[in-house]
This record gives sequence, C-alpha cells and structure tokens, in this order.
Amino acid sequence: MAYQKHRILMVSDFFYPNFGGVESHIYYLSQCLLKLGHKVVVMTHAYGNRSGVRYMTGGLKVYYVPWRPFLMQNTLPTFYGTLPIIRTILIREKISLVHGHQAFSTLCHEALMHARTMGYKVVFTDHSLYGFADVGSIHMNKVLQFTLADVSQAICVSHTSKENTVLRSGVPPEKVFVIPNAVDTAMFKPGPERPRGNEIVIVVISRLVYRKGADLLVEVIPEVCHLFPNVRFIVGGDGPKRVRLEEMREKHSLQDRVEMLGAVPHARVRSVLISGHIFLNSSLTEAFCIAILEAASCGLLTVSTRVGGVPEVLPDDMIVLAEPDPGDMVQAIKKAISLLPKIDPQIMHERMKKLYNWHDVAKRTEIVYDRALKCPNQNFLERVSRYLSCGAWAGKLFCLVMIIDFLLWRLVQLLQPTEDIEEVPEFTVSNHQDREMFLNSSEVQSSR
Amino acid sequence: MVEFSITNQRYTYIDDHKWPSEEIDIHHIIVRKSNAKGFIVCVSAFVVLANGLCLFLVKDISISIIFWSFLLSAILVKLMFWKSVVKESVVVMPAFGVQLETHYRSGRIARRFVPIGKILKPVLLECVTPITCYWSLSLILRGEADLMLVFKELHPPMKMLVPIWKALCIACGSEESSDPSIKNG
Repeated sequence: MAYQKHRILMVSDFFYPNFGGVESHIYYLSQCLLKLGHKVVVMTHAYGNRSGVRYMTGGLKVYYVPWRPFLMQNTLPTFYGTLPIIRTILIREKISLVHGHQAFSTLCHEALMHARTMGYKVVFTDHSLYGFADVGSIHMNKVLQFTLADVSQAICVSHTSKENTVLRSGVPPEKVFVIPNAVDTAMFKPGPERPRGNEIVIVVISRLVYRKGADLLVEVIPEVCHLFPNVRFIVGGDGPKRVRLEEMREKHSLQDRVEMLGAVPHARVRSVLISGHIFLNSSLTEAFCIAILEAASCGLLTVSTRVGGVPEVLPDDMIVLAEPDPGDMVQAIKKAISLLPKIDPQIMHERMKKLYNWHDVAKRTEIVYDRALKCPNQNFLERVSRYLSCGAWAGKLFCLVMIIDFLLWRLVQLLQPTEDIEEVPEFTVSNHQDREMFLNSSEVQSSR
Repeated sequence: MVEFSITNQRYTYIDDHKWPSEEIDIHHIIVRKSNAKGFIVCVSAFVVLANGLCLFLVKDISISIIFWSFLLSAILVKLMFWKSVVKESVVVMPAFGVQLETHYRSGRIARRFVPIGKILKPVLLECVTPITCYWSLSLILRGEADLMLVFKELHPPMKMLVPIWKALCIACGSEESSDPSIKNG
C-alpha cells in the first residue's frame, strides 16, 4: 500500500498520436496511476503540428517538446541540448520521480541522465529484447549500460527481458523488477457469437517486417492452405514485406483464401480479431507481445513462435507454441485446429480479465516507485565513480560526460535561477459525475 | 484612483485604475533597468572600437577596419537601446475595446487595438520552446485561427498575468470558469 502520492514524469519518444506497445503502455499506466491519486506528466517530442502542452483524459498533461525527430521517431541526440527544458519541466511540475521508457528512445536516455545530475530518483522500463552481436546492438547496449549504471530501479516486462537487460547492461539483478504488460479487456471483448460456417479463419495482425516473422508467414500460409481446404487467412498490417506476401498469394492463387487488409487502425483491431478463430503470431523476437493478449481477450486461440518472453504470457491451454520453423508452425496450426471445438471465447475472456489488468500493473509500479524513492541520496563524486566500472575507455568517457553535464547544470542554474521558474498551480479536472460523488461523500462524512 | 503593484527582479506590474471617476483600467508591465546588461554592451562596443583602432595604428591594416568596427559597435548599441522595450501596457476600455501598447527605449510606441466584440476569450496558456516553458496571456479572436499575444515582447510571471486576465475577462463579459478550480494561485 502506498502511503505517499508521487509526482511522476514519464519520458519517451514514443507516445500518442503514435500507436504501439510502448505508447499504449505509457498511456494506460498513466491513467491507472492518476486513478490511484498520483500526478502524472508525460514528456515526448512534437509530432508534426502537435507541439506544446496538451491535456488528455483524466487530466493527463503531455508536453510535446518542439525537438525534431531525426530517425525512426527518435529526437536528435544532442547530449546536453535538452537539459534546460527538462530542468524547467521538473521544477515547474514539482516532479518527484522520472520514469523513462524504451531503450531505443534518445529522449529517454537524455532525460534520465539530466534527472540524475539534478538529483532526482529515476526508474527505467525496458520494453524490447536486443541482440549482442551486431554493431547497432553493441552501441545501444553501451548507451544502456551508461543509463542503467546510475538508475534507482529498473522494470522489465518479462523474466526473459530481465535476463536480457541484465546481461546487456550489467545492472545488478536486485534492482530489476518484472511487471508484465496488460490488456484493456473492456475494449477487447469477444464478439456476440463466433463466426459461423465450417470455415476456420486464421487472423494475423502485425507489422510486416523481418523481425515480426513475415518471411515465415510466406512459407506457412500456402502449406496450411494446401493441407486444410477449409482454412482462410486474414492478414492485417503493412510494411516492407507486404510485397512478398502479395507475391505468394499470386503464385499459389490464394486470392480468395488470403485476405490482405493493409494497415489496420488501432480502433479497428478488435473488429478484425473477432472475425477469426485462431490468431497467428510469427515474431522472431518478442519481449512480451501484447498482440496475443489482445487476441486471447477476444476469445481467439493463439498459435505463436516460442521466442523471447512469449511462453510467459498465456496459460498453456490458451496458446500453442512452435519453433520459428515453417514445418513446426504448420504442425502447431494443425493442433490448434483440433483444439478449436473445446474453446469457449467468453470463458477465455473472463480468465484474461482476472489475469491481466492495468490497475494491477499500476499498483506494482507504485511499489517500485516507493522503493526508488527510498534509495539513499548519493553525492556527486560517489555517483560518478559508479560509471568507472563500465569499461576501460567507456567508464572514463561516461564520467567525463556526467561531469560536463553537472557543470552545464550549474551554468543553467545561474542563467535561469530556480526562483524564476514558476510552479504550475494545481488543477482539479472537474467532471459533473465526480462533483456529485464529492458532494455525496462530503455529506456522508459530515453526517458521521 | 486605485493603484496596485507587484514587483519582481525583472518586471514591475502597476494597475492604474482611475475608479470611480473613469472606467478605464490600465495595466503596465515595466522592465526594470538592468545596469549590468547595459554596462556589458558598452564595454564590448568600446573593446571592438579600440581593437579596430589598434589594428589600424599598430598593424597597418587599412582604414576600412575602423569603418567596420564602428559599424559593429553601432549595431551592438542599436540592438541594446533601439529595440529594447521599456514598458508594455494594456488599456482596457469596457464596452469599447482593448489597446495593447509596447513602448521602446527609442521613444517609439507600437499600438494594437482590438474591439471588444472581436474578443471571444482571454486565455492563459503555457508556451513550450525547445529551451523553456513559460506562461503567456493571449486573446482568442472571433473568426481568426491565430491567437493574439497580449504581451508581444515581454514574459511577465503568472502572478502579474492573473489580475490582467481577470480584468480582461470582466471587460469582455466571458465568465471566469470556476472549473477547473485553482487550488493554489
């Protein structure tokens, strides 16, 4: 139980109006934390014309800082450029804790670095798995090592992800908590009745990229269509590999058995899911996979590749796992088709409601925040010495980066003193319903 | 005459309300003189001139260097004095309109008049730049997509903007919304 209400700044390059796993995680988590009584502010980069301060449901304040994204949604990494605006936001919103999301977000790393320099407690959530071997991964892991060398607590979305993060960054495992994602079961409900007919519909909704196993689909779909004449596929999503799937359709004349929907907006995902019986996920790597949660919540039986954190997500009777190999996946689909009569979508949905719940995620995150705030304050020299263990060259470089950051912070304090930054007054987001409840509760209290 | 003022390090706010004799309400935001800034600019101009003269006399560079250093120092001085703002005022004339004035150190006054019927609502907004975030007072105008900033050059603090915002709300007849309620001002 939390005794203290926190004021949290969520930082990431990935937020609404983009849709995705990280974005919806930040949004749902923030909404549930607001319901628990904490104050949450989100900071992200500007999306096109959407720049400045916006308010979302429940009074969630979002700062769209006008820094241009330069590569794959990420803000240009200037190391120290974001220091003044982050300092201003931290002071004016009276933030007590900074929560960064996604290792791939440059804004997140910069914000966490500046927040640590200024003495704030910092929590980091990692949402993806990364490799160790290629050049990109090596650099990413070094950056992560830098950020996590001095983080108060870290959160991963599955045990596999925790293992991956600990190995990549060298952070002590005691500092890492595992809090899985959840699904909005109110939105993903099964249809009033299952799709009729003796056809079995297999749904695939994912970005058609290499990472999500689009190449596996190209091999699996014709084989399944050949073996099972009553099976039909619905493929939603877009990406560079779409061309390959279209070619496959042409080559095997499957135009009437494979329907390509193109990019499916998030609001329409449920309507596509409930038109099927089985959900197929062919990802080659996945830290958690919210897509299969959504499918299970809509009452579909899932067939997935056994990669990353996927085996941890659903109970064994709701999912059929296969190796990321076409032959094995075809066998798994065969098994799923035979299991189909035993599945009741409503029962599945009820079970999902009990298993996954964003309010539960928020409560667990609250515990992590409480722990983070209890971490002892360390002085500057002690903190800088932690970076020395990051590597022979890297350690010294990181120390230098932090020392420069500290000096720049002092300079910014001189140029824009703390007294000049006004704190934002508290607003209560009024709602007629809330006001009634408030009036009723105050009447009840006064009558006691 | 009712006068009310708030001061901080950079600005002084004065509410000049000649009531009950006149209905007009004038709000001034006056920039407090920063001697340090003027001193630095004069010193830099002097250094530039001295440098130019030195280069000409000692190193035998052509006389055009003096011309360029004069030009540079003139630009510095101009930026400091010509464009710098002494005061910004808001003259609220109920049932008639609002006049927004900017007084420069050179004596120039820039005025904008907004008829009362054109103002839909005055709003306090947070402006986010790549470096900082500050409060500003703006007018939403009927039939126009852009907001009109009340204070074009200056960024006065919230405690000075609130009384002006309240006066503008009363003048244009829009109700100050009681919700969202402000817990601490």
